[in-house]
Amino acid sequence: MVLGRHFGKIKNKFASIARRIFRKKKDIKIGLYGPVNSGKTTLANKICMDWLGEELGVVSVIPHETREVQMKEKVTMNVGGKSLSFALVDIPGIATKIDFEDFMRYGLKRSEAKQRAKEATRGVIEAIKWLDEMDMVLVVLDSTRNPLDQVNITILGNLDARKTPFIIVSNKIDIKKSDTTRVRNSFPGYDVIGVSAKTGAMMRELYRMVLKKI
Amino acid sequence: MLRIKLVRYEKIKSGQANILKDLKEGTIIIVDAKFTPSEETNLIHETMEFISDKFSGIELGSVSQYNLKGTLFGKFRDMLGELVMGKRMGITVIGPAKLVRRIESHPEDILLYL
Repeated sequence: MVLGRHFGKIKNKFASIARRIFRKKKDIKIGLYGPVNSGKTTLANKICMDWLGEELGVVSVIPHETREVQMKEKVTMNVGGKSLSFALVDIPGIATKIDFEDFMRYGLKRSEAKQRAKEATRGVIEAIKWLDEMDMVLVVLDSTRNPLDQVNITILGNLDARKTPFIIVSNKIDIKKSDTTRVRNSFPGYDVIGVSAKTGAMMRELYRMVLKKI
Repeated sequence: MLRIKLVRYEKIKSGQANILKDLKEGTIIIVDAKFTPSEETNLIHETMEFISDKFSGIELGSVSQYNLKGTLFGKFRDMLGELVMGKRMGITVIGPAKLVRRIESHPEDILLYL
């Protein structure tokens, strides 16, 4: 049984490598990963608005608003004479815990909160499954929170292990207690950029980094 | 009463230890190795399958024996340790989220907030 599990993992790994090799350039997928409520959908909306003129998903203060993978294909980015066409994938936030009672604090009824919790657990599982599909990842962190959260460390460790290129996006720099230096110091050696998906600050620089990285 | 259990990594790897069962029963688990990123995601994946009204998930933290995270030499030491010992040197702490409010993993220590 253990051998079978290992064989399955090896088979998946080979399938993933084969997919990467034979995937056409136009099928490039850029995923937005990160913990819950770090502003992934706000960033996805900003990117889509900038390059497509339409938004991707609904934003909410209630955690786990994005509970299903959302994708916008044929996003074409043009910066400084360079161009890139890709599919933007907004991934549900990754969490190690989901308590329906937390949702009730936001005014949700017990049954609604339980349903949301159920969907959120499926969202986390989906997020993990999609890790192998990405050609590049923007790891979106809330720069007002402690970056040394295990979820962040696990995401970065997985991307590192898969050799998936990624940029750490220290979001919400428009908020006074935002601290991108703390994010940078927490993850030395990685590409970190502070942006505000809400106001659009530093988005141009992020686009330049994406084009340089991929 | 607070329950803390030290579990050998080899027992988890071989499937002899069911840490999810312990976690659901409210036990804090300390493992004598640092989980790999893939083991961490597997644990999160399995945890999500068991979320219920009584079990809201886990808090997880790990620290490497070598304070060389992210460096090439650190990775080499990790790889060597894994090859020789069959595990990454360090510790992993896992607690039920209903009991452990937060775990902070620093390069040299782990902080548990109960």
